[in-house]
Amino acid sequence: MPRIRLGNWAEDVVSWLTRHFSWLFDAVSSVVNHLYDGVEWVLGGPSPLLMAGILAALAFWMRGLPTALAAFAGFALIDGVAQWDQAMQSLSLVVVSAAVALLLAVPLGVWAARSRVASALVRPVLDVMQTLPAFVYLIPAIIFFSLGTVPAVIATIVFAMPVGVRMTELGIRQVDPELVEAADAFGTAPARTLLRVQLPLALPTIMAGVNQVIMLALSMVVIGGMVGAEGLGSTVFGAISQVDIGLGFEGGVSVVVLAVYLDRITGAMGEQVSALGRRTAARARTGGRLRGFAVLRYRPRPAVGLSCVVALALVAAGTGVFGGDGQPSAPVAAGSDVGKGRTVTIGSFNWDESIASANLWKAALDARGFKAAVKTYDPGAAFTGLARGDIDVLTDAWLPTTHAAYLKQYGKDYTDLGKWYERTSLEVAVPSYVKGVTTMADLKGRSKEFGGRIVGIEPGAGEMGLLKDKVLPGYGLDKDYRLVSSSTSGMLAELARDYAARKPVAVVLWSPHWAYSTYHLTKLSDPKSLWGPGDSIHDLANKASAARLPEVSSWMRGFHMTEPQLGSLEAAIQAAGQGNTAQGVRQWVAAHPGVLDTMAPVGAGG
Amino acid sequence: MSKLVAEHVFKVFGRRPKEGVRRIQAGTDRDELRAEGTTAAVIDASFEVQQGEIFVVMGLSGSGKSTLLRTLNGLAQPTSGRVLFDGRDVSSLAAKDLRHLRSHRISMVFQHFALFPHRSVLDNAGYGLEVQGLPRQEREERAAQALELVGLAGWERSWPDELSGGMQQRVGLARALATDADLLLMDESFSALDPLIRRDMQDQLLTLQQRLRKTIVFITHDLNEAMRLGDRIAVMRDGRIVQIGTAQDILVDPASDYVASFVQDVDRSRVLTAASIMQKPPVAVDLSDPQCVTAHTDTPLAELLTPASRTRQPLAVVDDEGRLSGVIARDTLLAALGDQPVKEAHRA
Ligand SMILES: Nc1ncnc2c1ncn2[C@@H]1O[C@H](COP(=O)(O)OP(=O)(O)OP(=O)(O)O)[C@@H](O)[C@H]1O
Ligand SMILES: [Mg+2]
Repeated sequence: MPRIRLGNWAEDVVSWLTRHFSWLFDAVSSVVNHLYDGVEWVLGGPSPLLMAGILAALAFWMRGLPTALAAFAGFALIDGVAQWDQAMQSLSLVVVSAAVALLLAVPLGVWAARSRVASALVRPVLDVMQTLPAFVYLIPAIIFFSLGTVPAVIATIVFAMPVGVRMTELGIRQVDPELVEAADAFGTAPARTLLRVQLPLALPTIMAGVNQVIMLALSMVVIGGMVGAEGLGSTVFGAISQVDIGLGFEGGVSVVVLAVYLDRITGAMGEQVSALGRRTAARARTGGRLRGFAVLRYRPRPAVGLSCVVALALVAAGTGVFGGDGQPSAPVAAGSDVGKGRTVTIGSFNWDESIASANLWKAALDARGFKAAVKTYDPGAAFTGLARGDIDVLTDAWLPTTHAAYLKQYGKDYTDLGKWYERTSLEVAVPSYVKGVTTMADLKGRSKEFGGRIVGIEPGAGEMGLLKDKVLPGYGLDKDYRLVSSSTSGMLAELARDYAARKPVAVVLWSPHWAYSTYHLTKLSDPKSLWGPGDSIHDLANKASAARLPEVSSWMRGFHMTEPQLGSLEAAIQAAGQGNTAQGVRQWVAAHPGVLDTMAPVGAGG
Repeated sequence: MSKLVAEHVFKVFGRRPKEGVRRIQAGTDRDELRAEGTTAAVIDASFEVQQGEIFVVMGLSGSGKSTLLRTLNGLAQPTSGRVLFDGRDVSSLAAKDLRHLRSHRISMVFQHFALFPHRSVLDNAGYGLEVQGLPRQEREERAAQALELVGLAGWERSWPDELSGGMQQRVGLARALATDADLLLMDESFSALDPLIRRDMQDQLLTLQQRLRKTIVFITHDLNEAMRLGDRIAVMRDGRIVQIGTAQDILVDPASDYVASFVQDVDRSRVLTAASIMQKPPVAVDLSDPQCVTAHTDTPLAELLTPASRTRQPLAVVDDEGRLSGVIARDTLLAALGDQPVKEAHRA
């Protein structure tokens, strides 16, 4: 069987599309961005409690008092765990994705219901859309649409749309053929039959589809967080990467509140919008169990409900809480305004030294009159974004080994600004309570204790390949140990678990890493030097950005950090706590006078 | 001119319908075709329906009644042959003209009522008028009139699922009547109703028909219903019309053993009239003889039994003018009420 180069073809198609259709992708990108910004402006504008009130009023209108109270409590909880902005961003993402998905799904479903051929064509495409793992198209989506909201919206649409198409098709096909024939027999034109008979009768099913689309869209929020979409997804994703169970839980609960709210509201909408649904609901109510609790059953009539919502929205607008201006930026010292407001996007991943260096550079660049922003991504997304220019600089490229694959792929779009940190190392680590294991060679013969496995990270990581192909065979361990691939957060969670139970465990790790300060771990030494000399950490810039920001490039070229410096910075950030990174950096900078002038000397960069 | 004419209508389902028609014409058996996946639902159907007539098509399930009916308003295109409505070929009409024909001239009543569950009773009755494009007020007035006609005044604001089956079918009838169409197609319209309600509906249809004089094609598989309603009846078997005639024709002179066995369960005492079984008077009958009992030609046999029991002589049958038309001997009467077709009883 010859190797079929399916993957190569896919790559060729992607790059061909990028070359010839960038105008189209840019247009789509801009439309989706505007939609999202608009919705986010409306939802995220009012103060949290007011917006919670508006959402509760909507629930009151749709379903009555109990739901309204529960909704208000739920949203207050979201605000209470400081996830309000993220929740509204996620809600906006869901609203935009679901709206676009439905705009595409309903006509497609109608088409499929009316034509056997269309149905046969559409079905396999839907199957692929629903089952293809999101990550497979996320990276191309980033290449086409750049990092941030748009690829998240696209991925969500791809995932959520099929059920909308299917339910629409099903709903229309389910309509009693005798009714369609009756419409026909009275001389109804086909389009009118669709609008006046088939769609109204299919509406309950279609609305069930709408509900499903929205729920699926919400389930994609976390994946959206990995490609840089703001919202609960990035909270949860960030929490997972740092094994911050508390924050992950808070983010997760917020997602659940949104989910339950959206489910109830769209469920009720299914009853409200169709005459058929209203009939069923009315019949159910007359025989309902809540007889006698009039307050619980009371629902305002549409006019009343709508005016409730509108009135609250007007109050919101009146109190001027729409579109707050954000905090005033810190004053820039006279004579040091090199940036003149130019923006710099610094990419980072949820690796400690990445967060530390990116935020340190943000502090330095802001002090020099730039508008710097740190955006956190999954590494693959970050390197793709850097190649596209969505990110100007990336401060955490491990070269020549760990991130070699990205350099090979996108190297021509990067400018290497040189290394700023020398002695990284790759290693296998074990808890210090495992006695008698200090070198790789010591693992030999003790595979039973470790369950015959070494817990690894992402299978694509350079370190994994090196360990599997060189290090393990080199120490004769490849027969005794299985290298289990998982993810960085998976590996850390496994380490935390086994550490708490004081069980022997061997994990793939690297330095610098916060795990060494959190746990007592032994780095297994490498007497045969099979791991190689170790990586340095480089600053990379997008080629065009490097030209646009010559001062920044030259400052970064001159940048260096020692292990104690980096360690103390990471500690300062850790001490400041989640969400206070900037404050931690400020404290560290204050404790190291002159560090900003060393990093970004005024005049030297031009 | 006949209101509605079907000329050699064929309807064949399958992959090559035209070829199916040719093979049937060449003598291929219907079952043989079916084995190949081709269904000849209607085979060479020809008939004429007069203005104001109730024409019943009767046959067992699968005999092709519905398919035949659907060719009449173009819901199904005949594979071969044509249907003329007021002299116009229905199957050659453009889609738009066909829709106009259906919304203005031909309406339909369905077996399972086919009311739109998302519309009120009034809006259901006014559906055809809405398609015609009438303004709301006029539409509602006329729909309300149609509902009144079928005895549903006061139910306008209800929903179809709040009505009993009989009432729902009245709405279906009102919907068909509201458009003022002159041809009504009714496909087993009363079959889904309880026997008592069904009888009610039949009576109501007959009463309405006396006032409205529509042309009606009525499908049923119930022979008694066919006999009650039909001015003329077409009996279908395996896609073919095997006999067309009045109820009497079919009872008295069945075209085949199939029809004969089909009609054997009919309550013939109510369908057959004195005229259908009377014989030539063998000798002159003295109508003034007090012993002589007379009956009118249109009297059903059931009503001859009591008079016949009062005399030993044959009954004298008289026409509208009171002139002697024929006589019925007792044994003839009894034989006619028996299982055997009447023709054989004559010969006996
Ligand atoms: N659209 C179609 N495609 C294929 N075959 C069909 C189609 N419509 C009807 N037939 C076949 O044509 C034959 C006659 O069907 P039709 O519905 O006209 O019978 P019917 O006399 O109305 O029966 P019933 O009393 O059950 O309603 C049946 O064998 C049926 O399977
Ligand atoms: Mg039928």
